[in-house]
Amino acid sequence: MENKKKSIGALLLGKWDTKTIVGIAIGAALFGVLMDFGGIKVTTNTSLTSAYVVLPIVGALFGPLPAALTGLLGNTIADLIGGWGFWFDWSFGNAVAGFFIGLLPIYGAKIGEGVFNVKHAIIYAIVTVLGVGIGFGLVTPLLTVLFYSSELTVTWIQAEAAIISDASVAVVVGIPVLFALARRNARKTNLSKED
Amino acid sequence: MDQRLFINLSPGNTYLDKLTGKTKVRLFFAFIILLIATWDMRIIFPTLLVSVFGLYSLKSKLKSVRAITVFVILTNLFNLFLIWVINPDYGATICGGSTVLFQITSFYVVTGETIWYFLVRFCKMMATFVAAMTFIQCITPSELAAGLYANKIPYKVCMIVSIAFRYIPDIMRDFTNIKISMQARGMELDSKRTTLWQRLKQNVLILVPLIITSFDRVGNIANAMDLRGFGKNKTRTYYSEHEDGKGDGQMKILYTALYLFIIVVIVLRIVKPGEFLVWYPFQN
Repeated sequence: MENKKKSIGALLLGKWDTKTIVGIAIGAALFGVLMDFGGIKVTTNTSLTSAYVVLPIVGALFGPLPAALTGLLGNTIADLIGGWGFWFDWSFGNAVAGFFIGLLPIYGAKIGEGVFNVKHAIIYAIVTVLGVGIGFGLVTPLLTVLFYSSELTVTWIQAEAAIISDASVAVVVGIPVLFALARRNARKTNLSKED
Repeated sequence: MDQRLFINLSPGNTYLDKLTGKTKVRLFFAFIILLIATWDMRIIFPTLLVSVFGLYSLKSKLKSVRAITVFVILTNLFNLFLIWVINPDYGATICGGSTVLFQITSFYVVTGETIWYFLVRFCKMMATFVAAMTFIQCITPSELAAGLYANKIPYKVCMIVSIAFRYIPDIMRDFTNIKISMQARGMELDSKRTTLWQRLKQNVLILVPLIITSFDRVGNIANAMDLRGFGKNKTRTYYSEHEDGKGDGQMKILYTALYLFIIVVIVLRIVKPGEFLVWYPFQN
């Protein structure tokens, strides 16, 4: 039991080697650029953005904490080049959502080794909707009140739009991408399954 | 599209360019924190002026800023318009009171307080934008990493930020390359010949190889960094960080004063919160 707990802790943290660092960096850059240019506007500052495809990939390859950092830094970069002001409440909302989306290795989906099946896909969909809901429905409004005070009416409308659009992108586009990645990596391992 | 992403890879030679990374990062954060902390026009407007002056002092790169500035002004105005559509009397709770200037319907009214709030908000957003632009334009990725490291942030995190910054122009280059090669294979992206929906679908098709090539590159970059001994020691130094110059001394006075001022502003907001969020000059 002790041993198992430790391994879950290690999985949560991810392996902090050079590869993870570069992975987070490139994920954050992609997230930032896609957030600014790869989307259709829904309401103020919220768009149906393709950026949410990046988070499951980072989560699958490196773990939940790297995915959370990708969301946090990626959103900050998007704010920096987007020019709509800095909304750190949203950055942290993205971090929480990223953490949940990145939980893939915890429930046994090892994309790096080509393990991803329908069961994992269903868990992924549920966890993603939950995570995005907690991130934007709870953490962001809370921080909005703390950092900026008021603005809550607008934040609520934005949060609802963000939950719907981001969760749907992460699920609808994310699952096929994860399947494709798993197949790609399974080919690389060069081993066939024994019956 | 690539003109809108002006990550600098080599430092320029204006006053702001010559500062050390440490000073640039501290100045930038002083501005941003101040702008987040306050809703007072008496503070926001001078900050906006100083930011514009800072951007103007980077003369050589002004041309590339113009397009994005227009874009940002339009987005911000659109955002304000949306807020007004949702709640026309938005200023009432924030400035206190609603002086109706003119009426469109019984619900859609234009009040002096709302206009004042929108003006403050617009100035706030523009000041943040101009400060961010100035910052991006005068800093290089490795200076940014050095600057963050000098402010006691673990160097692995600094490295993440630095690589992410450095990688943005590469993403744009890859995007253009993939687009051109797909067009060469017969994909139609001309807006006159395809429907909007088709174009969107084709843009998604570009994203897939873009994301996959980006993540394929992770291994190469990580190996290159490992070969150079990245992450071996607990501390590191930066080649791009030079000795403090004359400007750094002057700017040190400025940002120290700014940080003290921020503390005063925040403490005042907690100890003696005003009746309303935004200070309104024409209150009767």
